[in-house]
This record gives sequence, structure tokens and C-alpha cells, in this order.
Amino acid sequence: MSQILLTIATFLAACIRMATPLTLAGLGEAFSERTGVMNLGVEAIMLCGAFSSFIVTFWTGNVYWGMLCGMLAGMIISGIHAILCIKCKANQTIVGLALNFFALGLTSFLFLIVFGQSTILPQCKTVPNFEFPVLGKIPLLGKAFFTHNIFVYLMYLLVFIFLFIYKKTEWGVIFTAVGEHPSAADTAGINVFRIRYLACMVNGLLGGLAGSYFTLAQLGFFMEDITAGKGYIALVTVILGRRNPLGILCSALLIGLADAVQFQLQTMNIPIPSQAFSILPYIAAVFVLLFSAGKSSDPSALGIPYERDNR
Amino acid sequence: MKNKAGDLISYLMIVLAGIILMILLIGITGNSISDALSGFIRGIAGSSYSVAEVFVKATPLILTGLGVSVAFKSGFVNIGAEGQLYMGAVTITALALAFPNLPKGILMPLCLLGGFLAGGVWSLIPGILKAKMGISEVINTIMFNYIALGIVGILLQTVLKDPNNYFPVSATLTDSAGLSILIPGTRLHSGILIAVICAILIDILIFKTSLGFRLRAVGMNPRACLCSGISVGKHIIISSMISGGLAGIAGVCEIAGLHHKLIEGISPGYGYLAIIVALLGGNNPFGVILAAIGIATLQVGSLSMQRAANVPSAISSIILGAIVLMLMARKTIFKKLIDKKEEQG
Repeated sequence: MSQILLTIATFLAACIRMATPLTLAGLGEAFSERTGVMNLGVEAIMLCGAFSSFIVTFWTGNVYWGMLCGMLAGMIISGIHAILCIKCKANQTIVGLALNFFALGLTSFLFLIVFGQSTILPQCKTVPNFEFPVLGKIPLLGKAFFTHNIFVYLMYLLVFIFLFIYKKTEWGVIFTAVGEHPSAADTAGINVFRIRYLACMVNGLLGGLAGSYFTLAQLGFFMEDITAGKGYIALVTVILGRRNPLGILCSALLIGLADAVQFQLQTMNIPIPSQAFSILPYIAAVFVLLFSAGKSSDPSALGIPYERDNR
Repeated sequence: MKNKAGDLISYLMIVLAGIILMILLIGITGNSISDALSGFIRGIAGSSYSVAEVFVKATPLILTGLGVSVAFKSGFVNIGAEGQLYMGAVTITALALAFPNLPKGILMPLCLLGGFLAGGVWSLIPGILKAKMGISEVINTIMFNYIALGIVGILLQTVLKDPNNYFPVSATLTDSAGLSILIPGTRLHSGILIAVICAILIDILIFKTSLGFRLRAVGMNPRACLCSGISVGKHIIISSMISGGLAGIAGVCEIAGLHHKLIEGISPGYGYLAIIVALLGGNNPFGVILAAIGIATLQVGSLSMQRAANVPSAISSIILGAIVLMLMARKTIFKKLIDKKEEQG
């Protein structure tokens, strides 16, 4: 019996580890989308975050500098997106996609320049796992949820911070107003542009953090296209979770679960193609979109640049 | 009053900035710039093979780019060309393996039709969801890309797998499901002709028929269409079908002309590049052809540059991304230039 419970706890812990980067990036993207800026460049943000966190950790040997620079790199990429979409009023979808190309090229280019073509991937330090005080002592749950690295604890904290901001503070109302009806918000004396820039910056920061999770917590090395589409999956968590922090966490856990099941089956040598499981989250996302049709929760101004004197 | 000169200058400046960026990046690698550039030129114009290679690469880009631009015209943002291309590729593989004895004159048109339908259906589903229920197609088409990739993976490990091969690839298709080589000694196949024919057909459809007019009208002002009795949903569905179908044909051509068997990863992101092709081509069929050839030139050239001077070919994605970003910012960067000329004109 205890053996089974232990397996379940390990399994849950694996789900949490898979879900962490998706939740972090999803929280940022949801914030940005709530204020009306849709960033398809999450992939680019995460890639640049992963790359710069790796290279800084490799050079300084300090993972916290790495995390910081990962966040900075994410903010730079998101900043480009913000300037193009808010100031130049460009098409947000296309800018996001172009950034993905740009970042994929840039990170692999710089990586090749610095380390050259080699079969041995250079390693960097990773963040340690530690048991969270008190909570980690709870039997089973402690092992499943509170024996992780700093990224996971940060993620828990951020989910609650965002929940609090959205539901309990005036800021939450302001963000919603900017996303739903920017000209009304402008009339009420809210600086729409400043709020949107702020949201984009937070998106970059969290996306960069999510990117550095891959290099600093999961792998300990960098390779070309390390995020492999995880940025797009983060967009799925935002849709599945309907831009609600807890919803995003739950949908990221669901996707993490599908991932974990898939790995489990591969190790057990069951002759079902692994793709049969890896496509499940995407199919689930399509169905969620289908069943939530009609009661759309999309901010009305999502994807539309705001112009002051345009009615 | 449109101001052509200012526009032209701003585009030229962006191209120039792209070239400067390229030279700068080569400089960073520490390789000889002249070696690298001559490698680039040799890769795209050194021999008939290298010229042909550009068009080989351009073929799927033209077809997928056409598809994306048709969808754009009616306001359907199709990011799913990648998945639609794979569905086309699966269809030709399945058809050719099922009917290996059919003569080429029947099998090939059947494959093209099948590919069109398969890609079309794959894009039709997000199209219907958008038209009937108002669900955003941006996320849905991305989801369908991943689902299509998963399906290809599953099929390659089960029904389509070549039992004599350890790896997940299909058996080699019969010759009657192949496109003929246009110039001996190169890889140029007749897919490029199919692509150009498709471009002409789409041009006629969009600009010369009343259906095309309605498609454009739906994209420009859905509300006006609603008021004047043009069904918005119906036209979004039609354009999404055509859009996906063209991407499906791209998949058919890639298999029939180039690979002759289904493997994972036949498309290095053509479906995503297609959006940039459509954008650079101004959503105009002949513009799409030019844009596709331009991007193919950049990619083939940088691959050759990698071989000749050891400059990473990732350089092409950087430049492509940077050029698109500059194009998006063009009106703001060159505001003075464009506005000033406007006053004079």
C-alpha cells in the first residue's frame, strides 16, 4: 500500500516539474493578454531566457545571476514585441512569429560562436532541490509538492500573487479595463500604454524565468531549439486555464500529467506509439475551446492596438 | 495620395539593413567575409544544380504561402499550414501504398486531389469553429499542427511503417507516384510548375471572380457583408478550405518530388515560414512567388555559406526575423520620409 502511495507521490512530483515552466510562462502571457496584448513570441522569450541563463551561469558559476539574466533577456525580447505592437501598432501575431524565428536563429548562432560545433555539450550548474520547511514534512504531499527547487516554490507564490492582484486589488480592475475597453480606461485617467508596457515586461520576465528553468533546473546544458515548442504549449495553458492563475496551474498540471504518462509508458516498453499520449493535451485544448464557445472570456481588445484619437 | 518613392526608399533601406546585419554577423564569427559571401553566391548561382536548389526549396514555400494569403484575404489567420502540409504528405503516402499498380496518369491526379482534400479538411475544422462559434483560429490551428505531427508519428510506427526498416519511415513509393525531374542532374521537380499554376489559379479566383470579391469583402469588412447579404461564415469556411488544400498540395509535392517516402520532419517549419512569405508577398499570388524565392535564396545561400566558410546557417533565421520586424516597424521608423514626400506629392 505504502509502495503504491509512494509511486503516486513521485508521479505527482514529476507532473509538477513538467508543469512549472508552462505555468510560469502562462502566468506572464495571461497577464499580457488580460491587458490586450497577445504575444505569440513566448517561444522566443523562453529560448532567449534559457540561453542567457545558461551562458551566465556557465561563466559566473552562480545560478542566481543566471536566473536574473534569463529574466532580463526575456524582458528584452518582450520589450521588442511591446514597442512594435504598442508604439508601431503592428500585427501582434506576425511580430510574435517573427520573433520566434529571430530568437531561434540568434540563440543557435551565439551558442555555436561561443562553444563551437562539438558532440560534448558544455554543462552548467543547476539549482538544488530542497525540502520546504514545515510543509515538506507532511507525509506524501510533502514529497509530491514541497521537495522541489526554487522555481517551483516561486511558481506557487506567483500563482497566489496574481490571484490576489486580479481579485482583490484595484490593479486587477485597471488591467481588465485596459483589456476590455481601452478608450474607457483612458477616459478614466488610466495610461493605457503604460499599463500595456508593464504587462509586456512582466510577461518577458516570467517567460525568461520559465526558459531558464530548462537549463538551470531540468537539463544543466543548452542546445539548439531547447524549448522545442513549449512556448506554444504555454499559450495552450492560458487558453485552457481561461487566463485565471489557478486555471493555468491546473491545465499545466494536466499537460504535465500527459507528459509523465508518456515517459512512464516508454520506460515500461508498452507498444503504443508515445505520440498517442503526447497529442492528448492538444486535443483536450481543442475540446475546451469548443465547449467554452459562446461564453468567450477573451478580453474584447485582445490583439487590437490602441490609438487614442481613433473611435 | 500614395507615395511610391518614400515607400520604395524605406523598403530599400530595410534590405540594406538586412545585408549590413548579415555582414556584421559574419564578422562576429571571425571568418573571412569575402569567403563567406562568395560561398553564399556559389550556393545560389554557382551551377545549374544550385540554381535549381533554390526553386526546390521555394516550391513548398510558394504553395503554403499562397494558402496562408488566401486565408488572410478573408480574415482567417492560418498558422496551421505545417499540419496541413503533413496531412497532404500522409495522404499521398497512403494512396501510393494502397494502389501501387495504378498508372501515373491516374494516381498522380488522385494524390493531388487527395492531398488537397486532406489539407483542406485539416484547416476546415478550425475554419468551421471560427465561422460557426467564433473560436479564435490562431490557437486552434497551432493545436492542429501538433495533432497532425502526432498522427504522422503514430502512423509511421504502425500502418505506414516499412516493416523492413528499423526507423519510423514508410516504404519507398512507386515511381508512378513521383513527379518528374525537370532538369537532369538537379533535384528540380515539376512541383514548381504545380506551384506556379496554383498561383495563377488563385490570382484569377481572388481578383477576377465574384467569389474572390466576396472573400476579400469578408476580410475587409465583415459587418458590411452581413448587412448586404454575404454570408461571412460561409466564406471563411471556403477560404480556410482552399488555404489548407494548398498546403496539402505542398505536402504531396514534397513527397512525390523530393523524398519519395514519408519520414518525420519533412518540413523544417515551412508552415510557419509561409506566414512570413504571405506577409512579404503582400498577400498577392505573384508577390508570394517572389517572396518564396527570396526566402529560399536566403536559406540555400546560408547553407552553402556554412559549408564554405563555417558560418552557422542559423544566420538566415536571424536576418529573416529582423527584416520582418523592421517591416512591421517601417511606418514608424520612416515616418518622416514617408510623410514629407506625401506633402510634396
